[in-house]
Amino acid sequence: MSEKTTKAIHYVILTIIAIVFILPLVWLILASLDSGANQALKWPTTWTLNNFISVLTDTKNLRGFGVGLTISLSQSLIVVVVSGLAAYPLSRYDLSFKKPLMYVILFMTALPMIAVIVPVYKMFLNLGLLDSIPGVILYLSASGLPYGIWLMKNFMDGVPVELEEAAWVDGATTMQSILKIVAPLMFPGICVVFIYTFSGSWGNFFIPYILISSADKQPAAVMLYQFFGQHGSIAYGPLAAYSIIYALPSVLLYILSQNYMSKGFTMAGAAKG
Amino acid sequence: MAKPNRAAMIKDQAKKSVLLIPAAVLLICFFIVPIVLTVYYSFTNMALTGANAKNFQFVGFSNYIKMFKDPNTYNAIKNTLIFLVGSLLGQSVLGFIIAYLMKNKAKAFRSVVGPCILVGWVMPEIVVSLCCLAFFDMSGTMNKMLGLLHIPAVEWIYAHPMMTVVIANVWHGTAFSMMNFQSALDNVSGDIEEAARVDGANRIQTLIRIIVPCIKDTIATNTMLNTLSTLGVFGLIWALTGGGPGSATTTLSIYMYNAGMKNFQLGQGTAIGMLLLMVGAVCSVIYTKVAKED
Amino acid sequence: MKKKQVVSILLASVMALSMAACGGSSSSDSAATDDTAATDDAASTDDAATDDSASGEKQKITICWRDDGSDMELNANYQQMMAAYEQWDKKDQVELDFAPITASEGDYFTKIALQLADPSTCPDLVCEDTFQLPNDVSAGYLTNLDEYIADYADWNDGLYYESMAKAVTSADGSVYGIPYCTDTRGLFYNRTVLQNAGVIAEGEDWEPKSWADIMDACAKIKENCPDVVPFGCNSGVATGEATSMQTYEMLYYGTGERLIDDNDKWIVNSEGILDSLQFLSDIYTNGYGAPLSVVLNGQGSTTLEREYLPQGKLGILLDGIWITGAWKDTGAAPWDGYETECGLAAMPTSEGQDPGTVTLAGGWAYSIPENADAKDITWEFITEMMKPEIYKQYILQAGNIAVRTDTAEDADYAAQPFFSIATEFLETADFRPQNDQYSTVSTSIQKMVESVVSGTSPEDAMAQYATDVARDVGDENVAQ
Repeated sequence: MSEKTTKAIHYVILTIIAIVFILPLVWLILASLDSGANQALKWPTTWTLNNFISVLTDTKNLRGFGVGLTISLSQSLIVVVVSGLAAYPLSRYDLSFKKPLMYVILFMTALPMIAVIVPVYKMFLNLGLLDSIPGVILYLSASGLPYGIWLMKNFMDGVPVELEEAAWVDGATTMQSILKIVAPLMFPGICVVFIYTFSGSWGNFFIPYILISSADKQPAAVMLYQFFGQHGSIAYGPLAAYSIIYALPSVLLYILSQNYMSKGFTMAGAAKG
Repeated sequence: MAKPNRAAMIKDQAKKSVLLIPAAVLLICFFIVPIVLTVYYSFTNMALTGANAKNFQFVGFSNYIKMFKDPNTYNAIKNTLIFLVGSLLGQSVLGFIIAYLMKNKAKAFRSVVGPCILVGWVMPEIVVSLCCLAFFDMSGTMNKMLGLLHIPAVEWIYAHPMMTVVIANVWHGTAFSMMNFQSALDNVSGDIEEAARVDGANRIQTLIRIIVPCIKDTIATNTMLNTLSTLGVFGLIWALTGGGPGSATTTLSIYMYNAGMKNFQLGQGTAIGMLLLMVGAVCSVIYTKVAKED
Repeated sequence: MKKKQVVSILLASVMALSMAACGGSSSSDSAATDDTAATDDAASTDDAATDDSASGEKQKITICWRDDGSDMELNANYQQMMAAYEQWDKKDQVELDFAPITASEGDYFTKIALQLADPSTCPDLVCEDTFQLPNDVSAGYLTNLDEYIADYADWNDGLYYESMAKAVTSADGSVYGIPYCTDTRGLFYNRTVLQNAGVIAEGEDWEPKSWADIMDACAKIKENCPDVVPFGCNSGVATGEATSMQTYEMLYYGTGERLIDDNDKWIVNSEGILDSLQFLSDIYTNGYGAPLSVVLNGQGSTTLEREYLPQGKLGILLDGIWITGAWKDTGAAPWDGYETECGLAAMPTSEGQDPGTVTLAGGWAYSIPENADAKDITWEFITEMMKPEIYKQYILQAGNIAVRTDTAEDADYAAQPFFSIATEFLETADFRPQNDQYSTVSTSIQKMVESVVSGTSPEDAMAQYATDVARDVGDENVAQ
């Protein structure tokens, strides 16, 4: 086979794969613009933006998005800051307990946190933290931390220490060197941790579903689950519109940091696990 | 690691560990304590409602004995493994193929195909469920396409529930593997490939003998990360099939929720949670071993 | 002890940090303030009642019920509450806080239990299905109403049906809820469909004498009206208790067997179970049942009762009398002329053996959680809601059977289509076991039914059921 035909075949295969990956979205987009949408794939008889308008004018929905953003942004921020701080000594210093600690962290990343939901519920019950948004944020942050620390440490290992030495000579404190030298250099890595945490949290409906009971404190993910999930749904048009709006933050965040992301993955690959 | 001014560093080692404190506090309160409690609760008959909700007792190994005598447990383990292996194969193989084929392709083409694959990854899992629910519906996209080929419609979610949830998870997770492999393949030097080609190796041979060994670290890391995220999948399956029909897609996490929350037997649920933690722990140990060897 | 202190101190400091951290945007501000309030509540639950009355501010009654996702304003319970509130002389001192739980029936009881256990999120008034009541009573989640009942003339004068009073009375003889509706079940059918299929002649009522008659009718519908689904029933885990009671138990009790034997042991292996499952298996393998995608989600029965049956897309629906409430012109899915278009037949026993027909009765009650803050005022509110004129409006709208004898005699009530038959059913109705293990067993029933309708053999499903029940209630509580 000539190089040219091989290449042509590659293009064809990739195009097919790409089309297949897009297919599940076709219904979502069509249904969101259809005034009489149902689960079936069909060309809308009447096109409408009313589904979007009705979702966006409902204060309950808007509050859901607000709560969801509060939870996910706070969690991502906490994970980035706390894991960034923790990664510094792990990357830079020769701590006697470093090796066992890294293994413990690695081990923790492997534990499916959903398994401890019952004790977490009981613990929150006893501490009066149920139905509390900060409580949910803290729990989610803790469950995202091990992976965050592990990634951050690897990214930080990739930042040459020599640059910091120069700063130390100039009398910079640890904090200053982290903020001024390390953080900018590993910005792609920070993006990876932030996005990874954010998208995990934004999509997580189960933890808030169990830990939050007031309807007005429920994030968008839980509201969406209540919209359909196992309950089935009557209003597919608004549901599809809601889903599209709900997916937007993740999409936007990804687009905004696309360049950093691919660099981040390269760094993760270079800093071998 | 570089060690500038080692003496000074040891001197303030304790001081420098200060930065670890916030992480340690969070992890102890919300990670380690719950795990310790899981161990404890799994030896009690605690319930969400009923007489045992008021006064729960220590019941020794009875939850574990019940669990291992229960065919549901083996069914859940079986389902978890099928879901895991299916997802891993799908995500890794597909992710690799895409990454491999994308290499050295026109930039414009890459920037169109890439986002198509990424769409499934960027979607939150509830939206993934919704899309797949509609996609596999009786009159959904899948059946409409089959209809064009005159193949009769199938109720995919009920006729092939496990396949449906695996496909949903593959749609969701492939992009992650693709990105991992892309960055790894970018680091494989073209010279080696060229050298192999000159030696008369064909494309497949080059792939297996040269490229795969070069990126074996990435393969291991990627497999591990996918294993972990797949073990923890709950919402995707819950919203798509609820673990059903019957218990056809009841994985360990769904099984745990049903026992603990739906049947109100919290103690029994935590025992299943322990099993889930153990599976994760075993995977972790294997992974740690692999990481150590490198 | 010391460890716990350390943990809570650490926790508090982290909390403080995170509160500071999320003070950025306005939405997070309000969330954080809300939460402070909630935490304060938790700390001072014990004196909350005294605080309330002392402060002179409005007392708040938080009310929790199951919201099926349709418009809240159309909900009969909501309208009953609003009607009672509007005419209440304490209206100015009290504020109602509606906190419905949007969940499928299966999830509702989990969410309720999670809330009842927590002093800070516990509602003051909760709608309890009477089957769930014994469970929540033994958990200590509900307030013993004996003291209140002592001064409640309507109750003591026998204005509540005795069978319903029994349903809210625990084993120790104390009352834990005020029943507000009961119900019976039967076969609703679309007359046009059955006529077109040749099952009945015009003007004739359908009176199946055995399960075989139902199967025959289904076969005729399938043959003569190929676009119509012959038979609908709750069939999945997602429809929760409805699947256990409206479908499985309506069949199973018709075989003459009961869930629990005379020694309070659960029966998990019997001919009756197999026969009931075989019936369901026949329905679905013969293609008489609705598509699984319709019936196996939480909206299954809603879709069947509000769309399929009225639109003539379904022939026969095994369900409860309350579904007629939605068809009234005040309901969620008005069906013009349902009085004549729809018929109601009693569910026959398996082979027509005595007593010939079977039905189950259930019901719901208003209860006050043990962790409620405003118990006294909530009790008063319940008695307001149960006043004859307000209650009558409610029961008419809900389309359910009244629990008050005076309401049952009301002319408007008795004139409702189907109500004389449905109330007649009540005389011979069976109740679910008053056993605090029932709600757990019920989840196993739902799983068993869903397995069978999706293709598992009745034998395998029953074997699975036997294991599940033994696991949940203990081997010692299973009949051997």
